[in-house]
Amino acid sequence: MVALDGVSLSVRPGEGYGLIGPNGAGKTTLVRALTGTTDADGELELLGERPAAADPQRVGLLPQEFGPPERLTARELVAYYGGLYDSARSVASVLDDVGLADSADTVYEALSGGQKRRACLATALVNDPDVLFLDEPTTGIDPQGRRAVWRLVDALADAGATVVVTTHYMEEAERLCDRVGLLAGGQLVAEGPPADLVSAHGGAPRVEVRADDEAAARDALAGAGYAFVPDERRLVVDDVAPEDVGRVASALADAGVDYEGLLWRQPDLEEVYLQLTGQAVGASGEPREVGDA
Amino acid sequence: MSRLRRIRSEAVASGKAFLRRRTAVFFTFFFPAIIILIFGALIQTTGGSGGLFTEPPGYYVSGYLAVVVLFTPLSRVGSEVARHRAGSRFEKLATTPLRRWEWLLGQTLVNVAIIGVAAAGILLLAVAVAGASVAPSLLLVPYVGFGVALFCGLGAVLGRVADSQDGVVAASNGVALPLLFLSETFVPPSLLPDWLPLWLSPLTYFSRGVRAATYRPVETLATGRVPGGVAPAEGNLLVLAALAVGFFLAGAAALPRTD
Repeated sequence: MVALDGVSLSVRPGEGYGLIGPNGAGKTTLVRALTGTTDADGELELLGERPAAADPQRVGLLPQEFGPPERLTARELVAYYGGLYDSARSVASVLDDVGLADSADTVYEALSGGQKRRACLATALVNDPDVLFLDEPTTGIDPQGRRAVWRLVDALADAGATVVVTTHYMEEAERLCDRVGLLAGGQLVAEGPPADLVSAHGGAPRVEVRADDEAAARDALAGAGYAFVPDERRLVVDDVAPEDVGRVASALADAGVDYEGLLWRQPDLEEVYLQLTGQAVGASGEPREVGDA
Repeated sequence: MSRLRRIRSEAVASGKAFLRRRTAVFFTFFFPAIIILIFGALIQTTGGSGGLFTEPPGYYVSGYLAVVVLFTPLSRVGSEVARHRAGSRFEKLATTPLRRWEWLLGQTLVNVAIIGVAAAGILLLAVAVAGASVAPSLLLVPYVGFGVALFCGLGAVLGRVADSQDGVVAASNGVALPLLFLSETFVPPSLLPDWLPLWLSPLTYFSRGVRAATYRPVETLATGRVPGGVAPAEGNLLVLAALAVGFFLAGAAALPRTD
């Protein structure tokens, strides 16, 4: 089985780069190839060396579903991983950075989900890496924990670190990354700054209609000449400029269709991914073909 | 210094993690104790009457020690490998300066410390409860060290081969049980078929050597000879040391880089 095929990309020093795609797209395999933990055919370089030969002092990794020794405290965990390097940051400063100073002496298994992920992130920061790989850093944690991780990554990027993030959360990629690469079926289907990709492939702005009788709303809007975005579980009207939202509301009112709300939005990376791959990405990261219920 | 720092960090973390698993700690020490209580105190040995457990109590001391030297590292390291695989820890460690053999050495040192304590307790129990006569010997230290290293290596291999922690437990029991009873520990070779290749079991060299170092029947003391059929303590130690190096290297090579 070929997990990656024909992928070609480079990440510049100090850049935040996102690898986006659903589960099985090849993100983790690519990270493993780039960090030298799996073999891959082709040319790969990390810090000017073969990945397996790159200076580990300069590389940090947070693997997907990383589970460190659960009976160690946050402080002991950071000290443990710090002890594996020739030089490491002080444990206290790392815990402070990830917001765990107050929970430093709590054993890992007693931390909350968000705290656990931040403790894991701390183990990737302890050697003060120049290049940091974060494989699905916020999967499975609550929104508050996710925002805390985002702030940390922002701070790292501001400090000049090169950060490679894999994620199936499009919002996360837009928020964190200077450039993103969209992976599907092991292939890189597009690459560039999120805004450029959205501009080139995202399509027109749209309005999401929330109505009890969705079929009636669809009929009313179709009768008024509107088209719909396919692969959506909600009723989404395509190509509606902000000043035209009122016309959508009028079309529904004229047909006697009640609605709970109209939500206008610009296209985002989700639309880009859908346009380019024919797939949407589910909330838990699973791929969903266009037209699936 | 960096290498020592890495090995020390691995050993300290592993030791703390083990000591906080209270059930594991309890049974590490309870298991050999119950063996001594059953075989040494309840069944009791009847020297010279023939059959199982008929040698003098001192004969079985090497078997009691073999229990911890065999079972604990095999299951502990195997389980640790399984836990590491489940938590993608090897993938992370592969991006640090820690080498695979350093990881295994860190684990081995912890096991040597734990089993060293357990072995001391076993010796005391064997003397106090089973009435065993044990000749003091410094050779016990390298015997325990090499024995533990050997089975840590084998545990790492099992951890690589088995697909889960449950699998490791089953595999280590499946390997350890026949080894324990077919390595001249509790069953003398005279009671086993001649065709059985006892020399194939690495534990045989441990039990033979420890017995040679610590077991002094009256007739042996009188003549100064080593009991018949048991190789000299030093010779078995050399074989055990060579096997330990081989198994350790095999275990280190078996450790995965990706989980």
